[in-house]
Amino acid sequence: MIYTIASTKLGIIGDPFIASDGINVAALLSGGFIVEQSTPKPKKPAKTSTDTNEEI
Amino acid sequence: MATSTYLSNPLVTVNAVDLTDQCSAANLTRVIEALESTSFGKTARVYVGGLENSTLTLTMYNSFAATETYATLAALVGTSTTVTIKPTSAATSATNPVSTLTGCYLETLPIVNASLGALDTIDITFTGGVYSVATS
Repeated sequence: MIYTIASTKLGIIGDPFIASDGINVAALLSGGFIVEQSTPKPKKPAKTSTDTNEEI
Repeated sequence: MATSTYLSNPLVTVNAVDLTDQCSAANLTRVIEALESTSFGKTARVYVGGLENSTLTLTMYNSFAATETYATLAALVGTSTTVTIKPTSAATSATNPVSTLTGCYLETLPIVNASLGALDTIDITFTGGVYSVATS
């Protein structure tokens, strides 16, 4: 899960938050200090039609 | 004799949140429990070091505003977290070391400590955890 800083008490707003050892992430979420950042889904590859008809 | 003037103005973080502007007193005490090992034939009690049980006590102004004291502490009661404190807000160095209690426990949180004509202040104590100190 990726988190973004939402309070200047924690750092620069908008920067990614990386929890160090012992940090209670759930408490930061409930206090509004960080927000979950939705991870972008990978784009599907373009559909390409394969011509299997062999011309004689 | 060399002397130095030390003005207490520490930087305090609780669960990575900077609460310096809500804190008016801090007391970090490193404790290694004493286990008595006195045996027959001794004429004085002797001890060996046991488990570490350090404490950090903070006096804080209570604020229910967004991302202030209550928002920081409310979800930490009954859980473990990490707290840091260093003598001044200057860069961490050998003369301004940062002390950390990793995995310390917050047992109690006073919700309201109201008195007519006075600011609402609370005392909280973090107990246990692993003590470490960094100079860079």
